[in-house]
Amino acid sequence: MKKTLPWLLWLWISAVIVGAFYYAPLAQGFIGKSSRILFFHVPMAWVSFTAFIAAAVWSVLYLMKGRQESHDRAAAVAIQLGLLFGILATVTGALWARVMWGAFWNWDPRQTSILISLLFYAAYLALRGAVDDPEKRGRLSAAYALLGMVVTPFLFWVMPRLTYTLHPEPVVNANGKVEMESRMVQVLLASTFAFTILFFWMHNLHCRLQALLARKVEAQE
Amino acid sequence: MSPLASTWAAEALAVFAKEWRCELRTRIALNTLGLFAVTTLVVAGVSLGPLGVAKAQGSALLPVLLWLILLFSVAAGLPRAFVQEEETQTATALRLCATPSALFCGKLLYALTLVAGLEVLITPLYVMIMNLQVARPGLLAAALAAGGFGLAAGSTLVAAIIAQARSKGTLFSVLSFPILLPLLILAVELTRNAVVGDPPGMALPQLLLYDASVSIFGLMLFPVVWNP
Repeated sequence: MKKTLPWLLWLWISAVIVGAFYYAPLAQGFIGKSSRILFFHVPMAWVSFTAFIAAAVWSVLYLMKGRQESHDRAAAVAIQLGLLFGILATVTGALWARVMWGAFWNWDPRQTSILISLLFYAAYLALRGAVDDPEKRGRLSAAYALLGMVVTPFLFWVMPRLTYTLHPEPVVNANGKVEMESRMVQVLLASTFAFTILFFWMHNLHCRLQALLARKVEAQE
Repeated sequence: MSPLASTWAAEALAVFAKEWRCELRTRIALNTLGLFAVTTLVVAGVSLGPLGVAKAQGSALLPVLLWLILLFSVAAGLPRAFVQEEETQTATALRLCATPSALFCGKLLYALTLVAGLEVLITPLYVMIMNLQVARPGLLAAALAAGGFGLAAGSTLVAAIIAQARSKGTLFSVLSFPILLPLLILAVELTRNAVVGDPPGMALPQLLLYDASVSIFGLMLFPVVWNP
């Protein structure tokens, strides 16, 4: 399974790319073919959000289950990957904004929210870099990651409601309905699934690599 | 009051009194905070020039400047509350003397009084220098009270975190600003409403919710940060 998973994932993502360009129709009300970015931008934002939630869960586990280094490592790697996918979601969103709104950056509440959360998680990595002792690093960064969970609701639910947003409605709109052509929904779900598996695969690889590096340092000492 | 609660309250008050006693001996935080705020205010005033800003632009721009001055002044002075415990090697003694929750509340109370003092000093000066017309002074006071509480609560936990790390000065800004940014946006919105004369809208309850969440989570997370 370990050897076939990357190949299956590669096939699945290839099918998603083909589906996004040749199977799914263009959405109404969008300039040119800009709506196709939806199949990559939304899953990236979803994976970024999932990564940050997963990091919070691993941080809680670290604090409550005997402070195991593996939990701390899993939280840190999840945040690194969450940042990567978050930056990709921001860049794809900015490209789409350039086509639709005429400028890459408009300080739309959604853009502001993701930018602040990226700053927060970049600060998390800066904190980890500023503490040498592994136990202290794990403890402090777990507390900081959990503090982020307090701020996140204000960024994603409160701020977008303070001012007018030009951002299209979420996939599941305010009435709890999905108002999207069924082929678009199929490709979007397939893409979201692919990106989620990609995240967990990358996370697993990165954690194993970090564990090996830690063991190597221990052996050298 | 039960003996347990009275002991806890006594511990928190003792920490608060100790903070002020230490501060009045050195006056480092007071001088840093006050001078930084006044200097930044003067820099902002001089930069805007003798004519200042037009009234229409002022209601949009001046609340932002006020909160930026407060935010940067807090970043300059508040981290000392915990950093000095590590520098003078009194953190261990403090761990033995007070429970983490009482310690957090004592330090938070100290930060609150410091921020309130800063606001009392800076806001009238700012209103005079910038010729700011405030249509609803009561709402401005509410914005300052709720915003000041959030600044103190958010900064106290971050100060405890950075006190145990390297490059403390810069790290405080890096760690605290993303946490304080939602507060800043809500406080600016509320101050703008006070200047223009609009009702507070949803910004005031949201700001109070932010204050409550950050202080409760701060209280819950502080033992993890404080105890090795």
